[in-house]
Amino acid sequence: MATEDFPGDRERPRPARASFWPGHGTNRVRTAVIGLILVGYAWAAGGAAPFSATALICVLIPGVVLAGLASWRPPDRIPPPDKLDITGMSYWAICVAALFEWEAAAYRDNSLPWHPSLTDLVNPLIGPHIMKSAAILIWILAGWALVRR
Amino acid sequence: MVMSTRALTIIVFAAVVAGLFLLEFLARRPGSRIPTLGQWLGYLMRPRIGRVLILLGWWWLGWHYFAR
Repeated sequence: MATEDFPGDRERPRPARASFWPGHGTNRVRTAVIGLILVGYAWAAGGAAPFSATALICVLIPGVVLAGLASWRPPDRIPPPDKLDITGMSYWAICVAALFEWEAAAYRDNSLPWHPSLTDLVNPLIGPHIMKSAAILIWILAGWALVRR
Repeated sequence: MVMSTRALTIIVFAAVVAGLFLLEFLARRPGSRIPTLGQWLGYLMRPRIGRVLILLGWWWLGWHYFAR
């Protein structure tokens, strides 16, 4: 992995914008309202039947909204580091590669019961409505965190 | 006692995921040379193509687990 700088967006001066992030000078009431809306949305989305048009739309909406925010009204971004320590990063690379390798091995074996894929293991965990809704909420918040990076 | 292949598979998955959490924990110690997950993702997202690919990966995860 290269560790040199990218002449990216970070160096470009940015116009001042209102932060969308909770607790960064924004109205806490608005943050609470957004939080309640997200919880409600996750609860509704968690009730959608798999492979249904509703489930697809419930996943499309956060993607479109976050893509729109990232493109046309980006929040204040957290500056990335100028460089990564190659040794420190290699630990992450090993773990992520191991995860992908193990998943690829399960996929190659058609995810049989004796070597289940991560999907086969996670799906029963997010089967209950509340667990699926919680996972959707975490997924949306993770997307928001990525937009801020 | 013989461990089943299924159990071994699950243990390896759990170990790898635990390793990811451990790295995040270690990365958050003061003076750590290990970047946090947010730091290295942010680094990968500096070029526009990296940003697009990471966000697409995030969306794919949601589609894969919640729409299928």
